[in-house]
Amino acid sequence: MPHLPQTPGEPPPPDVLLDVRDLRTYFHVMDGTVPAVDGVSFQVRRGETLGVVGESGCGKSVTALTIMRLIETPPGEIVSGEIWFDGRDVLQLSQDEMLQVRGAEMAMIFQEPMTSLNPVLTVGDQIVEAVVAHKKLSRKAAWDRAIEMLRLVGIPEAPRRARQYPHEMSGGMRQRVMIALALSCDPKLLIADEPTTALDVTIQAQILELIRRVQAETGTALLLITHDLGVVAETVQRVVVMYAGKVVETGSVQEVLQDPKHPYTEGLLASIPSKGMRGTRLNVIKGSVPNPFRMPVGCRFHPRCPYAFDPCPDHEPPLDELGRPERRVACWLHTTPPFGLEHRPRYGTATPLPVARAAAAEQVP
Amino acid sequence: MAIPTDPALAGGLAGRAPADVATADVEVALESLGQWQLAWRRFKRHRMALVGLGFFSFMVLVAIFGPIVLPYNPLNIPGAQQPGGDPPSLQHLFGTDDTGRDVFTMVVNGARISVAVGGFSMLIAGMVGVLVGAISGYFGGWIDNVLMRIVDTFFAIPLLFVILVAARFFGEGQVSSLILIFGLLSWPLIARLVRASFLSLREADFVEAARAVGVKDARITFRHILPNAIGPVIVAMTLIMASNIVLEAFVSYLNFGISPDQTSWGNALANAQSALGLGNWWWAFFPGMAIAVTVMSINFVGDGLRDALDPRTRL
Amino acid sequence: MTQYIVRRTIQAVPVLFLISVVSFVLMLQAPGGPAAQFNQNPHISTAQINKWLQDWCLVRQPTLADTIREYLGWLGVWNCSGGSFLSAHGLPNFLPPFLGGGTNGVVHGDFGYSIETGRPVLSMILERLPATIILMGTAFLLWATIAILAGVIAAVKRYSFFDQSVTFVSYVFYSLPTFWLGLILIFIFGVTLRWFPVQGIVNVRQAAAPFGTPAYWAAFAANPLPNIWDIAAHLVLPVATLIAVSIAGDSRFVRSAMLDSLHQDYVRTARAKGIPERQVILRHAFRNALLPILTNLALEIAFLFSGAIVTETVFSWPGMGRLYYEGVNARDYFLLMGILLIGSVLVVFMNLVADIAYAIADPRIRYN
Repeated sequence: MPHLPQTPGEPPPPDVLLDVRDLRTYFHVMDGTVPAVDGVSFQVRRGETLGVVGESGCGKSVTALTIMRLIETPPGEIVSGEIWFDGRDVLQLSQDEMLQVRGAEMAMIFQEPMTSLNPVLTVGDQIVEAVVAHKKLSRKAAWDRAIEMLRLVGIPEAPRRARQYPHEMSGGMRQRVMIALALSCDPKLLIADEPTTALDVTIQAQILELIRRVQAETGTALLLITHDLGVVAETVQRVVVMYAGKVVETGSVQEVLQDPKHPYTEGLLASIPSKGMRGTRLNVIKGSVPNPFRMPVGCRFHPRCPYAFDPCPDHEPPLDELGRPERRVACWLHTTPPFGLEHRPRYGTATPLPVARAAAAEQVP
Repeated sequence: MAIPTDPALAGGLAGRAPADVATADVEVALESLGQWQLAWRRFKRHRMALVGLGFFSFMVLVAIFGPIVLPYNPLNIPGAQQPGGDPPSLQHLFGTDDTGRDVFTMVVNGARISVAVGGFSMLIAGMVGVLVGAISGYFGGWIDNVLMRIVDTFFAIPLLFVILVAARFFGEGQVSSLILIFGLLSWPLIARLVRASFLSLREADFVEAARAVGVKDARITFRHILPNAIGPVIVAMTLIMASNIVLEAFVSYLNFGISPDQTSWGNALANAQSALGLGNWWWAFFPGMAIAVTVMSINFVGDGLRDALDPRTRL
Repeated sequence: MTQYIVRRTIQAVPVLFLISVVSFVLMLQAPGGPAAQFNQNPHISTAQINKWLQDWCLVRQPTLADTIREYLGWLGVWNCSGGSFLSAHGLPNFLPPFLGGGTNGVVHGDFGYSIETGRPVLSMILERLPATIILMGTAFLLWATIAILAGVIAAVKRYSFFDQSVTFVSYVFYSLPTFWLGLILIFIFGVTLRWFPVQGIVNVRQAAAPFGTPAYWAAFAANPLPNIWDIAAHLVLPVATLIAVSIAGDSRFVRSAMLDSLHQDYVRTARAKGIPERQVILRHAFRNALLPILTNLALEIAFLFSGAIVTETVFSWPGMGRLYYEGVNARDYFLLMGILLIGSVLVVFMNLVADIAYAIADPRIRYN
């Protein structure tokens, strides 16, 4: 639901929990500056689930860490943007004020359950630490709360498990602990950054199911970051597709998955093997993620795009509406190019998309 | 690769930019350069390492040619005008000791023995260490067990205890004996490093592949594993060289090392302490500075080499 | 954890054995055999020499079998007068005397006599021990505290002025020869500024008796404050010399261990919880960085002994290191053997203590 009528500096309507506006996070490293997040906007309503999809390195994790204000500075720098969360711009909060928000009102689950828990503290203590910091409970009450949370995420024998160290648990179990930790202070927003990527396939389904269940039970909003379109299809209501630090397409999960408008989204969907494709060549997006030091000028996807035409190498397409504010795409195929340029795709002249898609499949080596 | 913009690295200090997705791409672009060219590029980025290399090369030149050029004989005792020795002047740049010997000449002549002891003992330590570590790491089992307990023992006995006894009882003031003693006492660190590399590389895919096509044990060791273990070993060798130069100086300072009829930096310091009370600081100061600056330049080179050769700490 | 400690203890056994062999071989180097060394020394009687030869099974022209028996007798496993592994009480000879073991050999504290003075080696070492413990204890405490503080602060405030200064200063000091630094400090603070004494552990003109003698300790007990003050003044320069180089190396180590730890995922998790930064750094980052730091400190214990030799010789500090130097000078084989053996065994022992500390600090070892 990006680009609803909004004025810079004005809070969004109250039903919008998180409103990210034109966010830019750059990293200044030895070899130059990496624009990891470069003008990203999206919104999450209360209780809603939004999926952020893209290849690794497209800036989706950095977006999440920026919302949490967990970007290390230096080398990171939040160059510009607004992050309205529950009526405040968190980028304007002091470090002390941010401590009251982080972990209490917004919480995060990370990709690597094996390394995300402190190896020298018991899992119970790690939850208690968060509860004591935000809930003003006694240690005893906080410990009870920790055990209650471990029960909620389906850990058997919670009182005994709470006294164990992370190394005594499996990966799936540790991710359950991470979820219990994140939910221990009743956050309004839960950010899950690739929560199932590091897990076994059978465990992945269990954890996803758990996340859906606890979200329904607690009513928290969920920002789910993943590269796995299968996970998106099962879990989220709306999708934001990111490429090279920018949002390239948004819409409801049905619209994006069934009728992708951006060639990148299309390529992502085409690269999933499915039953009906038996015997045909698996489609992949040609080329590789651009060098972050030398981002392509114009549309950042154009060097890999099978439909690239005249405006693409020189002009960056805006994220324009397709009929309604929530359905958007940033692609010259769907927007009138500026400066009087015409639609002249390089591969075939104004080919209809399905035909162009087949032609592109032929060209892939 | 670009000139470092990072302030700490530009100063050659220990700061490292955090690993980032960005650097991976650049590494890929340089892969075609070959291992040693790549290492040299990374080394050159470390400015202090270049300064260190420059100064060390200069010291080696001084050690070789200095004694030929200088007018004074370090063993000639002309007698000093003042009881503690004459202060620095145009005639004696670094002053003289209490018997009137030129300290500058001592420093220049001392470079020869000090650098030689450090350098050659480092080579001996390197050879013995690589051999022991390779045997231990490649064969494992009881051979490994016995060799590693010997290495443990070396680490348990304070090195200086043994060096003092060995230098006094077996050194006989000879440079060659001291080189041997220092070399044979400082290899265990290298052996440990080589063994550790072997343990991790023995199971590596490329070694498995070599074994699968029937390459012989010895060939696997010397052609496939050792070249990959060489980075940390070279870095450790610079550390050993630096520490052996200091140790030689201390042993000679105590009169257990090089015999008094030869000059090393340690020898030059041997009686300097007695003259401190008479206000003669130059006799102790200049030979010590020669050691400190040489050791520092070796350490800088070692740091540069670590950045250049040791893939684990790269960036 | 028990299993881990038992394994480390078992690993220490062959090391202790090799240390004893090295010490024994060192002693056998004495020209003409151990006994011959005493003939010129008027401090020691023929009866003493004979009893001691008897205790250690020493013979004048040993065969290989004799040498092995000498080693076992010297070690205290073999009962030389009884000619068996059992003591006079019929129990294993290596047990302590109050459990029915024998009295001969180094395991029972019998390190023989100094060639130079004719006195028992053990009592000479014990006499020098307090001075060394004072020096090394002070140095170790300051060294560990300063290195950890400087390293942690440098890592937390990375690239700050403090961090750059720590890095620069450590580079300089890391390359200085310890003994030369001692000379320079003597010249600056002892000779030129006259702030601190440069020799010995007490002011010999003011002390009631030489340090370490019963008379000294009696005077010390009667009036402790000025005596402590005197020792403290004498400690400043040797301790500064001893720790400067070590702190330089270790603050860099602590800094990089702490930086490693600060970049771990669990520190990010801790920050995501919204707990105060101080708690993130101490409870999460530092608590984990402590593990490699402990390992490193353990490895450097042997280093501390070497450092004691250097400082004690430069500052004429009446400790074990100085005693060792005097022993090397006089070729006092038995004294050297004793110090080498005791020093190395102490290092092995302290490494074991460090291993146990590590096991307690790391639950992955504690519960496996």
